[in-house]
Amino acid sequence: MLRARNLWWLVVLAAFGVFPLVVTNPTYTTIAVFTVIYMACASSWNMFSGYSGYIALGSAAFYGTGAYTMALLSIHLHMAPGAAMFWLVPLGGLVAMVFAVPIGWIALRVRRHTFVVITIAIFFIFQLSAINFGFTGGTSGLNLPFITWGYQYYNVPFYYVGLGLVIVATTLSALVRRSRFGMQLLAIRDDEDRALGLGVRTHAVKVTGFTLSAFAVGSAGALYAMFVGQIYPQFVYDPMFDVSIALMTFLGGLGTLSGPLLGALLLEASQQYLTIQFSNGSLYLILFGALFLIVIMFMPQGIVVALRDRVTRRAERERAAVSANEAPLVHDVPRDVAVGGAG
Amino acid sequence: MNAIALLSAAKDGVLTGSVYALMATGLTLVFGVMDIINIAQGILVILGAYLSYALQVHWHIDLFVGLLITTPTMFIVGVVIERAFIGRLKGPEKTAMSILVTYAVSLLIEGALNMIFSVNDVQLQASYVSKSFAIGQVHFGFIYVAGFILAAVLLGSLYVMLYRTRFGMSVRASLADQASAALVGIDVRRVSTITFGIGVAVTAAGGMIYGATNSFNASSSYDLISRLLTIIVLGGMGSLGGAMLAGIAMVFIGDVVGVVWSPVWSTMAYFVVLVLVLLWRPQGLFGRASARVA
Amino acid sequence: MKLGNRRYLRALTATALAGVSMLTIVGSSGASARSHASASPVKIGISLSLSGDFSADGQAFQQGYQLWAADINRAGGLLGHPVVLDIKSDASSPTQVVTNYQALISNDHVALTFGPFSSLLSLPAAKAVSRYGYALVEGAGGAPSVFQAGLKNVFDVSLPVADDLMPFAKWVTSLPASQRPKTVAFVTSNDPFTEPQVTTIEPLLRKAGMKVVYNKVFPAEVTDYTSIADAVAAAKPQAVVLGSVDVPTVSAFMQAFEQSGFSPKAFIATGGPDQGATFLKAVGGVKNASGMMVPNAWYGGSANPLSKTMVAEYVKKYGGTASQVSSDVAEAYSVGEVMAQAVKATGGFNNKKIMAYLHSGATLQSVQGPVRFNGLGENVVPTAFTFQWQGAKFVQVNPAGDPNSVKVLYPKPAWGKG
Repeated sequence: MLRARNLWWLVVLAAFGVFPLVVTNPTYTTIAVFTVIYMACASSWNMFSGYSGYIALGSAAFYGTGAYTMALLSIHLHMAPGAAMFWLVPLGGLVAMVFAVPIGWIALRVRRHTFVVITIAIFFIFQLSAINFGFTGGTSGLNLPFITWGYQYYNVPFYYVGLGLVIVATTLSALVRRSRFGMQLLAIRDDEDRALGLGVRTHAVKVTGFTLSAFAVGSAGALYAMFVGQIYPQFVYDPMFDVSIALMTFLGGLGTLSGPLLGALLLEASQQYLTIQFSNGSLYLILFGALFLIVIMFMPQGIVVALRDRVTRRAERERAAVSANEAPLVHDVPRDVAVGGAG
Repeated sequence: MNAIALLSAAKDGVLTGSVYALMATGLTLVFGVMDIINIAQGILVILGAYLSYALQVHWHIDLFVGLLITTPTMFIVGVVIERAFIGRLKGPEKTAMSILVTYAVSLLIEGALNMIFSVNDVQLQASYVSKSFAIGQVHFGFIYVAGFILAAVLLGSLYVMLYRTRFGMSVRASLADQASAALVGIDVRRVSTITFGIGVAVTAAGGMIYGATNSFNASSSYDLISRLLTIIVLGGMGSLGGAMLAGIAMVFIGDVVGVVWSPVWSTMAYFVVLVLVLLWRPQGLFGRASARVA
Repeated sequence: MKLGNRRYLRALTATALAGVSMLTIVGSSGASARSHASASPVKIGISLSLSGDFSADGQAFQQGYQLWAADINRAGGLLGHPVVLDIKSDASSPTQVVTNYQALISNDHVALTFGPFSSLLSLPAAKAVSRYGYALVEGAGGAPSVFQAGLKNVFDVSLPVADDLMPFAKWVTSLPASQRPKTVAFVTSNDPFTEPQVTTIEPLLRKAGMKVVYNKVFPAEVTDYTSIADAVAAAKPQAVVLGSVDVPTVSAFMQAFEQSGFSPKAFIATGGPDQGATFLKAVGGVKNASGMMVPNAWYGGSANPLSKTMVAEYVKKYGGTASQVSSDVAEAYSVGEVMAQAVKATGGFNNKKIMAYLHSGATLQSVQGPVRFNGLGENVVPTAFTFQWQGAKFVQVNPAGDPNSVKVLYPKPAWGKG
């Protein structure tokens, strides 16, 4: 059983692996690069916010910090434009983690609703610092060494590095959930006071989860900066970034392993693609809003959970029709399914 | 920097802040009674401003007279949104889901407003918008003073309604504990719908003043909602008095820092204060001590 | 088995969904390839901000580009090929800009690319198209950072922004000491477009003996300017230099000044008053607008014959008066003109030849005046002007020696008295 599941993950991975070999059009590989960047971020965000129930809306602080790490180091180390800059990608993630420790330590002293707003406030403090301090280039932003690879191949290395980040984030997320540490995060989500009563060191657990989740987001920011080649504070410290990854995760299924990946894949790819197709921005907003509303109203637990429930129910009905004396039916307890299922 | 500039900044803080307080009150009331965070409040303020704009441009109806039409309209808009979407949300993730639903609603409204009014910025015009009077050397813009009075009157009537009427009692009972309110025979469903309607109705007046003092288009809503959210958290979610105080504090801190130091640090100063206050009082200035978990 | 089965189905569904979304993406490439079948028209690819932060300017740019395309097609097209504009919306986001230009080139097979609005988007756009060997001719990417990138494919047909305020500085310092403003306030948004302009003239005004009574930068994302404007008003400067990018900023300052009972003798804003009808509407008409100055390279009343034709066409198509035409329209229109001359000179749509030609030092003509590029793609020949609202007319007032300049309306009439 376990093998069958792993097999499917491998099939999906293989599909992603061969994607740029099959689809060579740079437009679609560009969309693919942005898509894997968001998949890594959503998966990582879910590893903390999805498991612990603490919705963070300040992850853009890590994304921007990763981007500025890439930009400042590549400029000041006078790096030759090229593949060597990819080494700065994980470094961007590590720098983001270094920032995440004190932020998490401060922000996680409060409870959920307040936490949301504190993360927003901290995010704005980061954005305003990037705008107002001199070494960040202020509103003129920073101009990275210009990589002159031909357009046919330019996107491909970025895609694979981004895919690598998705694998790292998802593996980490899977490992965390199977670990004792992951159980503690889930316990905090279900009932923090009880978890505390049972001896879980909730503050330390939350800060650790928060810090771990900063790695892939920071790395993704660094990758973005290198890919686009020019950063501005308002675009790498973008409040819509957090709204996007939260929506992706909710759409796919909060707290599941595949949900954020699926949500990011659907939203980012379709958003970029639809924007190319429809030049009318207003119509696009209306369509997007309506679609989004339908999904939330009819699949409040996210696509992954909704589909799984539907499939399960049908299988159960069929079984029930075949034999009335089957084992007791599994009742839908979506919350528990979302926690326990592998998605 | 001089004393006049400082006094002016303080005056701006109180006058402009009171309008933010009015808009935030709608948000915090809805949260307190229903556990709903209405992300659409920002775009509803803009919708209120555009309604005033349409009445003025097409029918030459004065901004303040127009409120007699826009306020009930916004109330109905709120009731419709509540009946169509919000009221259907259930379960432990209700608050989180409400953020998503209202965000989707705000995207719909934003797209529609862009189509109808275009994305070019507009501002509400009237003969009195740029007039002012002076006390000593401090000048008071009529529209700001009117905004302050309007906010005070509306907040006052809200207070009277909540504390002096039967309906207000049901609202307060629901604020305190929904389950118990239902047990004593309060129709919580109806109270919720009307509360949401009232929470949205205040955007008519808030939007009119906002539109007369700022150029706006539909995307101004993002800035508005992030300000309103931080106001209600600083004040304590669900606390009306807290929202009022925090609304004024937000603009006041920013304005004074802008004069004393530099406008580039205004926003930063407010956010630093917000973080510090929340570390000291996680439930906000006037929030209930036992902040909800979930 | 039950559990395993469920998981199996779940993974299957996820795979299927991923597959479907990829297929839709891939499938569409076939569709756009088909639409390309007709070879005769020449396609020009543009990404514009039709929604989001830059949407007002994005739409004015669209008008300018469309006006140029209509004109060139009436004149027989580019080398006989009718021009088709392929405009994609980027929602003011650099991420989308990068995707858009790649889609324009590799899917829609455009022959040439024109720039988006704003320096913020021009640079990522220029980098993306340079990998394809395309030139990016643009009209609104004149911030120093665009040229510092050292790209070989970017050409800005407009005036480099840093020197915009020089004519104003020359005029104000040349006033006789008795009339010259004694105090000045510099208040600017922290934006790559405005800050360089203001910092360039600040030492000149100081040297002329003007006392700086207020000098502060405000964040670009601010929406409530009242307190900043009140602080400026409290300092009572006789001249105000406002570093603004858009109409709302200028109108907010004007309104707050009026409410404070403060009217400076000279008031110049780096952006906003040049936006024609939009500006007038926002500030409550000419009675307030009169006396407001703005630096730019072009205005609706320009004596340039090319410009006169364009303005006449604009007014015919969109209504209004010459004074109400946004300078964005002329910037976009100039992009088309410059490209058309390069195409004609090189005899084809080869971007490499076009870039070599544009770098060659040839002087081209546009509605904004002559254009000649240096090695960085900066336009080195245009003159900066100062324009002013005088009553309902928007007129050129600086440089003083220019035959088309009229006398500056100084001191500025009080609010509501213009």
